Amino acid sequence: MNLAFDLLLAAALLWSAWRTLATPQIGRAVILFIVFGLLLTLAWARLDAPDIALAEAAIGAGLTGALLLDAVAALRARRPNMDGDET
Amino acid sequence: MNFTSAELALAVALFLLVNLGAALWRAARGPTPADRMLAALLFGSTGTGILVLLAFAGGSPALVDVALTLALLAAISGIAFAQRAWLGKVEEDDAA
Amino acid sequence: MLLDALTTLLLLAGAVFFFAGTLGLLRFPDVYTRLHALAKADNLGLGCVLAGLALQADSLAVALKLLAIWPLALIASAAVGYSIARRAERLGVVPWQEQDQ
Repeated sequence: MNLAFDLLLAAALLWSAWRTLATPQIGRAVILFIVFGLLLTLAWARLDAPDIALAEAAIGAGLTGALLLDAVAALRARRPNMDGDET
Repeated sequence: MNFTSAELALAVALFLLVNLGAALWRAARGPTPADRMLAALLFGSTGTGILVLLAFAGGSPALVDVALTLALLAAISGIAFAQRAWLGKVEEDDAA
Repeated sequence: MLLDALTTLLLLAGAVFFFAGTLGLLRFPDVYTRLHALAKADNLGLGCVLAGLALQADSLAVALKLLAIWPLALIASAAVGYSIARRAERLGVVPWQEQDQ
């Protein structure tokens, strides 16, 4: 059961990382990056590194997500026709 | 903590991780930006549950502190999304 | 022995609520209904799991710390749900209604 948990977590991490990099729309990439950060918190917890998991939860999931979302909004307000953001 | 409860905690954690794998699909292709954000919020709360379960299934007790931080901070990105980042029709209803 | 049975019951109930929330997020038709499903997973699922594990805690401090997570999650989920629903309503997202045949 431990092995299944680790394999599933690794697969989800790799897939969300790939989607984050491959997505053309920047808003989607930011949200997928938040998801990736949350999964990475679980990975650090699984690797018996609770202090790094704490840092990842605070910085990766909380602060970076909010800052990147705000940055996307500011970019979009400045340039309404941002590359690849129109459908 | 006896043995059977630790096994059960790990089994429930695995089940929640399977749920997260399904929610990843919604995060990747939900039609509106809000749907993706809701999937990210589900990752936050389910991740809190998994961390607490892992703390009891053989992990270190410090993982409860990590879960506390995650529960506090996962909502911040949701609030930032609703207040600042969701501007409207840009990505609406694509690739449904 | 009774505590173990209660823990098992609460953990399974939490798993069921998390599953219902995920299923709702995948299957429901619009933002408002998905928000409803998400709140179930947040509040009841996490609450049942935390209560079940708090029964097995070694000391009172650990149990109280576990139970302190739940109100935080409740406040966060309520704030986010209100905020996103109000934003969706202001942006003109029309609530889904069952189509007449």
